[in-house]
Amino acid sequence: MRSPSQRRVPVRAAIAVMALSGMLLTGCSSSTNEPPASDELDGLSLEELKAQALEEGSVVVYSFTSRIAAIEAAFEAEYPGIDLIGHDISATEQVARLKAESASGTTTADVAYIADAPIVIRDLVEPGILLPYVPARVADALPAEHSAPLPANRLSTKVLLYNEEANPDGPPVANLWELTEPEWNGKVVMVDPNVRGDYLDLMTEAVLRSDEFSSAYEELYGKSVQLDDGIQNAGEQWIKMLYDNGLILVDDTDAVNSAVGKMGQASPPVGFSSYSDLRDNEEEGWALQVAAGVAPASGIVFPAYLGLVAGGDHPAAARLFIDFAMGDDSETGGPGYAPLYVAGDYPTRTDIVPPDGALTLDELAAWVIDPAETITIRSDVADFLLTLE
Amino acid sequence: MRAEPALRGEAVRVSPGDRGKRLRSWLTNPVAVLGLVTTAVLVVLVVMPLIGLIGTTLGTDGLDAWQKVLSGRLAPNLFWEPLANSLVIGSATAIGSVLIGSFMAWLVVMTDAPFRKTIAVLATLPFALPSFALALAWETVFRNDLIGGRVGLLQDLGLAVPDWLAWGTVPISATLIAHYYSLTFTLVAAGLATVNGSLTEAGEMAGATRARVARSIALPIVLPSIISGAMLAFAEGVSNFAAPALLGLPVRFQTLSTRLYGAIATGETERGFVLALLLIAIAAMVLFASTRVVGGRRSYATITGKGGRRSAISLDRWRWPLTLLAGLIALATTILPGLVLLMSSFARRTNSLTGGFTLHFWIGESDPGFAQGQRGILLNPTVIEAIWTTIGLGLAVAVCATTLGLAIGYVITRLKRPKFLSNALGILSFLPFLFPGVALGAAFIALFGRPIGPLPALYGTFAILVIAGAAYTLPFASQSGRAAVGQIATDLEEAATMTGAGLGRRMVRVVIPLAARGLLAGAVLVFVKMIRDLSLVVLLVTPATPLLSVMTYRYASEGFAQFATAITVLIAVISISATLLARRLESAAQPWSEAT
Amino acid sequence: MNVAEPGIVIEDLRKSFEGFNAVRGVDISVPQGAFLVLVGPSGCGKTTMLRMLAGLEQPTGGQIRFGDRTVATATGGSIAPGRRDAGLVFQSYALWPHMTVQANIEWPLKVAKQPSGRRKARVREVLELLGIAQLASRYPGEISGGQQQRVAIGRMIAPAPSVLLFDEPLSNLDAKLRVETRSELVRIHRATGATSVYVTHDQVEAMTMATHVALMRDGVVEQFGSPDDLLSDPASSFVATFIGTPPANVIPAVVSGGVARSGGKAIASLPPSVPTGPIDLMYRAESLRLAPGPAEGVLAAEFAESTPLAGRFLVSASVGGKRLSVIADDHPRVLAGDRIWIGFPGQPDGLFDSATGAKVLLEWAAGSPL
Repeated sequence: MRSPSQRRVPVRAAIAVMALSGMLLTGCSSSTNEPPASDELDGLSLEELKAQALEEGSVVVYSFTSRIAAIEAAFEAEYPGIDLIGHDISATEQVARLKAESASGTTTADVAYIADAPIVIRDLVEPGILLPYVPARVADALPAEHSAPLPANRLSTKVLLYNEEANPDGPPVANLWELTEPEWNGKVVMVDPNVRGDYLDLMTEAVLRSDEFSSAYEELYGKSVQLDDGIQNAGEQWIKMLYDNGLILVDDTDAVNSAVGKMGQASPPVGFSSYSDLRDNEEEGWALQVAAGVAPASGIVFPAYLGLVAGGDHPAAARLFIDFAMGDDSETGGPGYAPLYVAGDYPTRTDIVPPDGALTLDELAAWVIDPAETITIRSDVADFLLTLE
Repeated sequence: MRAEPALRGEAVRVSPGDRGKRLRSWLTNPVAVLGLVTTAVLVVLVVMPLIGLIGTTLGTDGLDAWQKVLSGRLAPNLFWEPLANSLVIGSATAIGSVLIGSFMAWLVVMTDAPFRKTIAVLATLPFALPSFALALAWETVFRNDLIGGRVGLLQDLGLAVPDWLAWGTVPISATLIAHYYSLTFTLVAAGLATVNGSLTEAGEMAGATRARVARSIALPIVLPSIISGAMLAFAEGVSNFAAPALLGLPVRFQTLSTRLYGAIATGETERGFVLALLLIAIAAMVLFASTRVVGGRRSYATITGKGGRRSAISLDRWRWPLTLLAGLIALATTILPGLVLLMSSFARRTNSLTGGFTLHFWIGESDPGFAQGQRGILLNPTVIEAIWTTIGLGLAVAVCATTLGLAIGYVITRLKRPKFLSNALGILSFLPFLFPGVALGAAFIALFGRPIGPLPALYGTFAILVIAGAAYTLPFASQSGRAAVGQIATDLEEAATMTGAGLGRRMVRVVIPLAARGLLAGAVLVFVKMIRDLSLVVLLVTPATPLLSVMTYRYASEGFAQFATAITVLIAVISISATLLARRLESAAQPWSEAT
Repeated sequence: MNVAEPGIVIEDLRKSFEGFNAVRGVDISVPQGAFLVLVGPSGCGKTTMLRMLAGLEQPTGGQIRFGDRTVATATGGSIAPGRRDAGLVFQSYALWPHMTVQANIEWPLKVAKQPSGRRKARVREVLELLGIAQLASRYPGEISGGQQQRVAIGRMIAPAPSVLLFDEPLSNLDAKLRVETRSELVRIHRATGATSVYVTHDQVEAMTMATHVALMRDGVVEQFGSPDDLLSDPASSFVATFIGTPPANVIPAVVSGGVARSGGKAIASLPPSVPTGPIDLMYRAESLRLAPGPAEGVLAAEFAESTPLAGRFLVSASVGGKRLSVIADDHPRVLAGDRIWIGFPGQPDGLFDSATGAKVLLEWAAGSPL
């Protein structure tokens, strides 16, 4: 464990105004720029971690999903004597809270379970607020892209969904470019990417995959794509044409799902949403189906990270929790993973079998985003989208 | 002839040599001391977060955000158009709320309309409902097939609903008016209740028509309440996110609040803060202008030491038409959205009233085949605990904010010198409205994250939620405090001063009892605002303090819309109960004013 | 009552609000037990004076003494309102609407930390003195204006202050009640033995109640003295036209060769010592006569109204836009707007400088009642 002096901000006596401005000028505060001390805990075995964690007695987890409650119960059953305190906080607010806590030296959490990977990398990983810890036990089964900069235990999706009742023979489109045609005017729904980060990631990926959009265009129309004035590449061109074709923006995924999925519609729209939402079809009276195999891809797959909070009070228990949340050695990841084991979401570990009732990742044919690359142009894409409305 | 108020900061002779003495004599004035203390509190609660907010936007990214927001190719879509939309929505909300709220208040307080009491109760309730319930109610009736999925009643009946009626400015404004007219109603009714009957009778004796009496006698007296109500409605309208997000986005109708929310949600924090600062600046200007319009005269003393009875204005043949109109407004803005909300919580399918109903979301036992095995909320011990924590938080914040609001209202109305102090207090106490909850929350983590002198670190405690909540709800508390104190004639206090009673005693025995009604009304607004607010508490809350609003969010984000709705119903029920209870207390608190 | 004992002494008292001089140097001294009335038109500074006496305003110059205690000085060190041993009745009464009559009157005693038994006894005593014992448990909103007024007085006198301050206390009462309450107030004043200061714009109240009157105008005392002093020997044309029922007439005239002319008519001959030029002549209403028709020394006037007054008639008419009052034996029997004639049978009752309004002292006038 690091000594307290390393953690404390030197300007301790500074007046509160300074602390405040300093805090909000995130990333400039001295405490967050300290290089993480090399930590011998990373090398401990599970048993050694457990022993130390029992001494620590508890672990505080910020989680972007409410399923933390179920994971908490499972964890406490597995490790009696270690109290897991789970906070259910959205990714956006986790970022704000972790930054503020770090800057004011009031680190509260030990582990952050968090989506919005690109922002996490920029705002939490790069300043050293979140640190990676990949349990040796699972390291071999975790592909490199899912173990750094932070380990991910699960992948979620934003893919093109359609109404299976109205289109019993399969997806109504085979190519995303078709959505820019008059037939689909006003019939494509998604959450405003300027309101929700995962949709912005989807748009960003489209720009990053411009070459594939370009080929898909040629495949469909037999000619190369013409770029409008001020448009840099085929991805932007697709986005622009989609917006110009009456793209409907809504405020949350439920609105997308019910618009696309509601039964009894003569010509339902299509829309981008989570593959795992298909599990609500029966309950909600939806006929959602994924448009797997559309060119150039059906959408994106993105990670949920497990990050170790720098300077947390329960470093051993934190590692124990990450180990637990990565899943045990069974085929389904065991009780720690069970709450996340849902058709339409994907385990990152190659040795955990994806849940039944969903296409494999290969069949889904969606792009797995590289958050580190996404963040390089994400703001520019957001700006680009702003010019389209 | 009104006497000059005596409680001014006394120090007059303007000779430079006297400065020290002047200051000293000013400082011996307890009202001045109260003013200084209040200012200091506001500095912590408002100014420091504001400085933090500004500080964030002065880094490289921040300056870049300023540039992008204000000029360049993004500015029109990022700022100017949303600004125009926000101003339209804000103004429409303010004007609509004032018209409807004042009309209802007048009808209920001043006339002999039948069912006055019922209408009065109903009119206070829309604010206790979540704004998305009203937006949902609008959708239930007017939604067309623009998006796809379900449609509203009219479209179901085969009527084509045009987009302008289903989406954008009209439905957003209508929804917000339906929500916030109860704010103006509450404030104006409190103001009208103090209009001495002899004033209006004097007008009628002088041969003025009733309309003229209403316009030239009652109106000026309640003008301060109306302005307060309009300002609150404007700020609420401008900062509301749910209504424009639900009803505006499909036609790409963006407001500053959707832009602000979006910027923060997509990681463009600095940009969001720049938008927030601009919003704050605009609101401050609007507030400043409105104070100018009423010539700095924020209130008329209508609670005086002269007694008077009120007699109802007879409506004659307008009695029933006006009652019907008010009744319809009240029903359409309370019962309809209330029912939609309640039914949604029973609906088997999200936001669908045609897919069958179930009690599962309320009292269902865990069933693996249903809602992923989640139990009904009333069987969930965390929910039950959250109910009590939420009520506790609401009460604590209401007490703190109202106390602070009383102090602010008192200083503003009683301390005439220096003028800038009361002006500054007035504007400062109005701004927290427009702070993004995230920014305010982060600021409080910074402020109270570690021990300050002898004070322990408050972060992670219930106390920080209360402090932040008091800051956040200050606009309600200070507006009502100001109106309530302003209505008390200064000579009532001077009479107490003459007997040798000090500031504390005057407060407890004269000001608070006389302001009780207005303060209570403000406290309810604070309570209601607090218990349903999410953005602020989510940053400060701990698992030890589960709150209903956080649970709503938790369920909603997991796709359990009905659970979320059911908890929203709980919040609404608590809010409504508080509102009704407060009405009972109001009458109980002021037996003398009910005397006939 | 020892008349020589100082009651209230006001020295060079000044008050300015943000550059506006409300009170500009007032000196008044009355003995203990006096009933001082500050009278004057709206905005003359009388209420500001009273509030400085009460301690609700701080003077910006001068000082105030109650007996031998200095209670207010401009340089600070003023005594707080509650410690001045003074009570104030507000124009609006300022009764606390949320307290019963009993509680209103009892409050000052509570603040003074009197024991409960003594408080109750005193309240009863006061209620009885004012004849409102039956109202004790009512709220102010439930009683009449006159009763509220009594409660306000009761609240003031309950702690038996040695200085009573009244701010136009009768202005909210109807005419009949006002007359009754005037004598009631004087009775209470005498019963308490306190020194009273009473502010009003109604000179009748001043004349009927005061032992001392200070007529104020624009922040200064125009004249200070007994009611009789002001009436019989007004120091200026302003005093002359403000005081009296009816007030005296002041007629502008031009003197030349010992003859005063108004509207071209010679109406009075004056001693040669009166300088040539404009001058104001004071005539009391009883010094004028109605004339049967145009004649030398008679002015034409437009009849306005005629009020019966103790067996005679008070006739109002206007001459060149200026209203004159005449006491006549008979009603002129004409209609409003008709022409009547007013005669000036004797010497004027006083002369005032037409520019300053100040009394002009004449050698021949000295000692002789004009």
